Amino acid sequence: MYYLGIDIGSLSCDAVLIDAQENILATSVVPTGARNQEAIARATAEVFRATGLSETDLKATVSTGYGRDRVQSRTAAVTEITCHARGLQALKPDIRLLIDIGGQDSKAILLGRDGRVMDFAMNDKCAAGTGRFLEAMARALQVDIDELGELDNGAERNLTLSSMCTVFAESEVVSLIADGVAVNEIVRGLNRSIASRTLSLVKRVYSGIEGLPVAMSGGVARNAGVIRSLSDALNQAIFVPEKPDTVGAFGAALIAKERMENGKAA
Amino acid sequence: MMKQYFDGLVAGIERTLRENPENKSPRKIYALEVAKLGSRLYSGKKRVAWCGVTAPFDLLNAMGVTSCFVEFVGAMLASTGMAGAYLEEAEHAGYAGDTCAYHRGVIGAMRKGLMPEPDFLIATSVPCTGGLAVMETLAKHFNKDLFVLNVPQRLTEESVQYLADQIRAMVAFVENHTGESLDKENLRRAIHFTNEARVLTEEVYRLAQSVPSPANGRVLSNFGIVMALLLGTKAGVDVATAYRDEFRKMIDNGESGVADEKLRLLWIQNRIQFKNPLVDMLEADYGAAIVSDELNDITWGAIDPEVPFEGMARRAISIPFNGDVTRRIAHLQQLAKRYRIDGAINPCNWGCRQGTGARGLISEGLKEIGVPVLNLEVDCIDSRNFAEGQLRTRLEAFTEMLNERPSIW
Amino acid sequence: MAERSTERIGFACAYTPLALIQAAGFAPYRILPMGDWPDQAGQLLHDNLCPHVKRLLDRAMAKDLPDLSGVIFVNSCDAMRRLADAWRKVRPNDRTVLIDLPATADALSVSFFGKEMERLAGILDEWSGCSINAAEIEDSLFQYGQLARLLSDLSNRNRRGALSGGSTRIQELRNLAVTEPVEQTILLLQQALAESPATMNGQSGVPVFVFGNMLPDPAAFALFETCGVHVVGDDFCTGSRMFGEYEPSLSEPNIFRRMAERILSHPPCARTFDPGQPIKIASDIVNQAVACNAQGVIGHTVKFCDPYLARIPMIREALKTANIPFLFLEGDCSLRSIGQQRTRIEAFIEMLR
Repeated sequence: MYYLGIDIGSLSCDAVLIDAQENILATSVVPTGARNQEAIARATAEVFRATGLSETDLKATVSTGYGRDRVQSRTAAVTEITCHARGLQALKPDIRLLIDIGGQDSKAILLGRDGRVMDFAMNDKCAAGTGRFLEAMARALQVDIDELGELDNGAERNLTLSSMCTVFAESEVVSLIADGVAVNEIVRGLNRSIASRTLSLVKRVYSGIEGLPVAMSGGVARNAGVIRSLSDALNQAIFVPEKPDTVGAFGAALIAKERMENGKAA
Repeated sequence: MMKQYFDGLVAGIERTLRENPENKSPRKIYALEVAKLGSRLYSGKKRVAWCGVTAPFDLLNAMGVTSCFVEFVGAMLASTGMAGAYLEEAEHAGYAGDTCAYHRGVIGAMRKGLMPEPDFLIATSVPCTGGLAVMETLAKHFNKDLFVLNVPQRLTEESVQYLADQIRAMVAFVENHTGESLDKENLRRAIHFTNEARVLTEEVYRLAQSVPSPANGRVLSNFGIVMALLLGTKAGVDVATAYRDEFRKMIDNGESGVADEKLRLLWIQNRIQFKNPLVDMLEADYGAAIVSDELNDITWGAIDPEVPFEGMARRAISIPFNGDVTRRIAHLQQLAKRYRIDGAINPCNWGCRQGTGARGLISEGLKEIGVPVLNLEVDCIDSRNFAEGQLRTRLEAFTEMLNERPSIW
Repeated sequence: MAERSTERIGFACAYTPLALIQAAGFAPYRILPMGDWPDQAGQLLHDNLCPHVKRLLDRAMAKDLPDLSGVIFVNSCDAMRRLADAWRKVRPNDRTVLIDLPATADALSVSFFGKEMERLAGILDEWSGCSINAAEIEDSLFQYGQLARLLSDLSNRNRRGALSGGSTRIQELRNLAVTEPVEQTILLLQQALAESPATMNGQSGVPVFVFGNMLPDPAAFALFETCGVHVVGDDFCTGSRMFGEYEPSLSEPNIFRRMAERILSHPPCARTFDPGQPIKIASDIVNQAVACNAQGVIGHTVKFCDPYLARIPMIREALKTANIPFLFLEGDCSLRSIGQQRTRIEAFIEMLR
């Protein structure tokens, strides 16, 4: 018997298919675009194609992410906070603090020893410090979003950007370019801003982070530069799973299995 | 326009109550009294005073003045879905968008002619600086006399004396404007009603503490703060009596406010005043009942008719928003214990410096006793910025988290 | 007089009775929001709260403060009250006190505020281990009166464009006046006044009156000046508002009440008002601008300041009626935020020329 987790976020739609032993059989990440249903269909089709399985092999599907209520085939919808916590705990059980930065949300989640969510904090309404923010900054710098992760190499200055509002930060970046500041310094400045923003989120859930094993999930976890700055800010190493963007969908698949076993699917 | 609205509301509720006399829900009786107050404010015939939140409304009622705190107008605009245009009016006139929308709504209503012209104004320095500013602006706009009650922070004999002396001066100010002196008998009767409503309301809150609770997310919303307006009147006593009787009956019949109460929540500060699906969602999907509101509590003692102004001064000083935040936190902790609260929600009304300014300290204080707090980012008046999806996610994740925790009680 | 020492008492609001602190044998030390600290205060308070208050708390959290024998807070606005709360949380070992401040200056309020002054005197006695007497307070009030007069003389000289260093230097001196012992600043001010008047260095600038809440950084005034502004008058809580001249021959015999009366009659912050003349702040600003022959007015406030935000529209209206051009800027206590306004300030000056 198989279980599917679908995480439909603002930037990407991710699917993870697991078996009854909780092995990951296939994962997919497709851009969400403007049509949720299409993205859901494509992400699902991809994991079925990779495994040769089909809808009828599924025992349960749990959806998560901001579009979780749009997944028609769902057995249940669970928030991404609970799903990320669950997914990460299965990947690395000793983690106590999870930072998840997705397309429009960033979250700090404090985990109990058993992987339960003890507390969480989310960014305020604006997109500051999220994937969207980085996209806008990449645009302002005229670089590819995937390049951004290494562009801070060789930067030495401790530049800080005063505006964290996406719109104002974009114009600040433009004026820094006009002032002739090197791109790597600006990128490092951006990363430091994100790190500082994230640090305050972290402190809202737990003030004594020293020595607490930390992991990061979500699309932005693929950005090595952000991880470096964040690691500096937290003064410790950060565990990043191999496929950080699929942790939520994996957690959703695990919850699908647990709920089926406990008979609480509703 | 507003006069017709409130008159229509009064007539509608009275008709319902007449046609279904056996179905006299206390919320209806409460809504009727609020609608009657609205109707008086907009009648153009009554003596009207716009006030700050901690004004002695029973004393003003005894002096025949229809009085109300200005924030009532902000809440009314939001609940009728009209706030947007009035907020925009204020913003276009230069009132910054990052200030409290209750007050911005009042300024918009003032500028668009929707605020009834008062005969005079009575400002109070508590709860907030922004509230004082809006009173000064109204006084200037209407060119009406303004009286300021400075509510001190600490509950000491000196503070009580200072505020009681100001209340005495306020009586002289009102007498000057109405041309009538305070009738001793009216005052005595008003104090009697206040004290009676006080005892009844305390009983209502005590009953709401039952597990499961007869309260839910709607029946007592805005209750404590609005009840202050009905103090000193028979109406206040009637409303409190209706609630007490209803809650007693429900408890006797084994009924609860939310059918299958699983989680008991505490709502910090003010409710979201415009229509939104969050409370229903919490109840229907998670069995999560808001059983307590921060402002639904009696923090003051009975008013001694021999020294009424001192008692009124103590009452104003006692509100939890006044003074050090440690006082507010201790009060929230007490509520959490009395109501066996699983989790607290703080909407952090955008632009409220006095309230949300301490949200971090409040969260820590409740966490200390094992009660998690969810801090939202909501503008309780301005639905233009309402991000329902984001709020749902936060509330759902919060209830998922609470469901996984063993109860601390 | 109590033993003079450099033991300092921190404070954050212009309504703090500096003379009383000094009479108790301490040096008042205004904790200014100048410097660069990691942004940590937002999580304890709220991001949408006065940047002045947040930066002071950041400063406390970064432990970037001299030794303080105590900290005095004044309940002047919601943000200040929250600062007092959060301060006690992040520096639990500091001795602190929160003084109540009425919003009006009627007789009952002066009398109550006088009692608050007396309460503060008692607390300062505890902190110092000595007791203050009325004569010491009188001396101290006199000294601060002298300081105010010297500062006002310097401002007058600057108005004529005859002070080298201009408003930037005045702001430096004001900052010294609230962070260093008063005798020291008085000497510096006397020296500055003894200099021969500079040769009309401000003449090329356009005379402008500036007002607002927090603008402590001298570099901000330097920036104004490089944009072509000649600051001929100002009204900030980090400026002239802290210093009022002292008339010892008042009829009020109680020293505390006299002090209360004096503080409540300083040029007010927008949070204090006269119920008999609502929004008098608007005509006050017009009158001040006219009195110093300003051709324009610049308002600069830190963001999220309810007392000012609520009154700016009516101030704007009054200036418009008086035909005085007005530029309103909002900042966050960092020089960068005001630097970003350079284009606006320059355009405003171009418009006035």
